[in-house]
Amino acid sequence: MAKVMVIDDEPFILMMIEDKLKRAGLQVVTLRESKSAISRIREEKPDLIILDWMMPEVSGIEICKKLKSDPELSDIPVFMLTAKGQEDDERLGLSTGVERYITKPFSPRSLLEIVLERVGTK
Amino acid sequence: MSESELNRLREDLRVTINELSKTYEELSLLYRLTESFSGATVDELCDIIIEEITTQLNVKTIAVLLYNQSLKQLYTKKAVGRWQVDEETLRRIRLFRDMLSRGRATTICDVTTMEEMKGLGFKSILLAPLSGKKSPVGLIVVADKVEEEEFFSGDVKLLNTISSFAGLFIENAMLAEEIQAFFIGAIRSFVKALEARSLWTAGHTERVTRYAVEIGMELGLSRKELEKLRICSLLHDIGKIAIPDQLLNKMGALNEFEWEELRRHPVIGADILSELVGFVDIIDCIRCHHEHYDGTGLIGLKAEEIPLAARIIAVADAFDAITFDRPYREKKTVDYAVKEIVSNSGTQFDPLVVDAFLRWIESTYHIVMSDTKSGT
Ligand SMILES: [Fe+2]
Repeated sequence: MAKVMVIDDEPFILMMIEDKLKRAGLQVVTLRESKSAISRIREEKPDLIILDWMMPEVSGIEICKKLKSDPELSDIPVFMLTAKGQEDDERLGLSTGVERYITKPFSPRSLLEIVLERVGTK
Repeated sequence: MSESELNRLREDLRVTINELSKTYEELSLLYRLTESFSGATVDELCDIIIEEITTQLNVKTIAVLLYNQSLKQLYTKKAVGRWQVDEETLRRIRLFRDMLSRGRATTICDVTTMEEMKGLGFKSILLAPLSGKKSPVGLIVVADKVEEEEFFSGDVKLLNTISSFAGLFIENAMLAEEIQAFFIGAIRSFVKALEARSLWTAGHTERVTRYAVEIGMELGLSRKELEKLRICSLLHDIGKIAIPDQLLNKMGALNEFEWEELRRHPVIGADILSELVGFVDIIDCIRCHHEHYDGTGLIGLKAEEIPLAARIIAVADAFDAITFDRPYREKKTVDYAVKEIVSNSGTQFDPLVVDAFLRWIESTYHIVMSDTKSGT
C-alpha cells in the first residue's frame, strides 16, 4: 500500500485530504508544520508528497528544493498545492522539480484521482 | 472524558470533515467555472456545461436547451448521448416549460409513467433551469446514469450549482452577441451604402473581409483577433466616403493628382473613425492598410510597426483588386494575382502573411503553389 505524506499548515485541508486518501485505502502521514519536514520525510520515506506552497517558517518550494538536492530523497514525486494567482511563480517553481501543481481550492475527488493514478498500483 | 463521549466526538469530526470536503468540492467547482465561463461565447458556455457534467456525473445523455424569448419556445442548443428530441416534441412537453420558471433542479425517477415524455426513451431525468437575472434562459436536461441508478441529492446539488451560475453567464453572452451582431450589421449596411456610390466596388468589402479572415485563420489568430480583423476589414475603405464620385467612377487610368487624392483614403478613414474612442487599434489598422512592408508607403511605417491586421488586409485587398473588375485595370486570373502578390512579398507585403495567403489559396482554389514560394 502506497504511503502519501501531506504537509500543510491548514488543519482542515490536512484532515480533508487525509480522510479522502485513507478511504481509498492509502496510508497517510500528515504534518502541520514545515520546519521538521525534511527529517520527517527521511524517516517516513513516502511514495508521494503533497506539499503546500504557502507555509509559515519554511515554504513548500524551499522544502522541495532541499528534497531534490538530496540524492536519497530526490526520487520522491512532489505535488504542490498553490493558491490562485500564483501561476507566474509556478513557472519559477518548475526548476524545483515539482511534478504537478494543484490550485486551491481543488476538488478533493480529482486530487484523489491523480494521486491514485500516480501511486495507486504500488 | 469517557469512551462514549470520545466516540461521539470522533463521529462528529468524521461527519464534519465529510461535509467540509463536499463544500470544498463545490467551492473548487465554482472557481473552475468562473475561470472557464468568463469571456466565453454561448456556444463555448454550452460546451463547458456539458463537459463539466460529463466529468462529474456518469450519465448517458446531456442536453442544453435554450429559450427563444421572441418565439417563446425551447430549442436544443447542444446535446450529447441519446438526445433525439425534435423541436415539435420539445414544444409539447409541458414539464420543460414549467421548469423554466422554477428556481431549482428537479429529478424525475421514472419518466416512462408520464404521458408526454414516455416516447423520449429515457428512464430517469434530472432537470435544471438556466435563469438569467429576470427571465428564463433555458434548461439543462440530464438523463439516465450509466450504472442505471437513480439520481442522488448530491447530483441535484451539483446541477444546481452549475445551472444557477451558467444561466447568468449565458444571458450575458447572448446579450453581448446580440450587440455584436447589431454592430456588425450596422457597419455592413453602412459599407453597402458607401459602395452603392461606385459602379466598381460592389461586394469588394465583403470579399476582402472574407479573404482577410480566412488568411487570419491560416495564421492561427485567436477568436478575438479574428473578430477585430473582421471589423477592420469591413471598415478599411471607409475613407473613400470623402473621395469624389467622379474619381471613384472614373474609367481608365488616374492621373497623378487623382492618385494622390485616392491614396489619402486610409488616413481620412482613420480620421473619421477617431470618434470611436477606445478602439485605437482598429483606427490604426485602417490608417495603415495601404502601408508597404518595407516602409515605402504613404506614412512610411514598416514591418511590425504596421498592425498585423493591416498587413493581412493589404494582401486580401490586393487579391480582390486584381481578380475583380476595376476601372483602371482589367480582370485578371487568380494565377496572375498570386504571382503579383508573391513578387511583392517582402517589399509591399509581409512575407509571413503572403505565406499564409498561399496556403489559403492552395486549399481554396486547389492550386499547388510549391513553385511560387514567396522569397524574403
Ligand atoms: Fe483601401
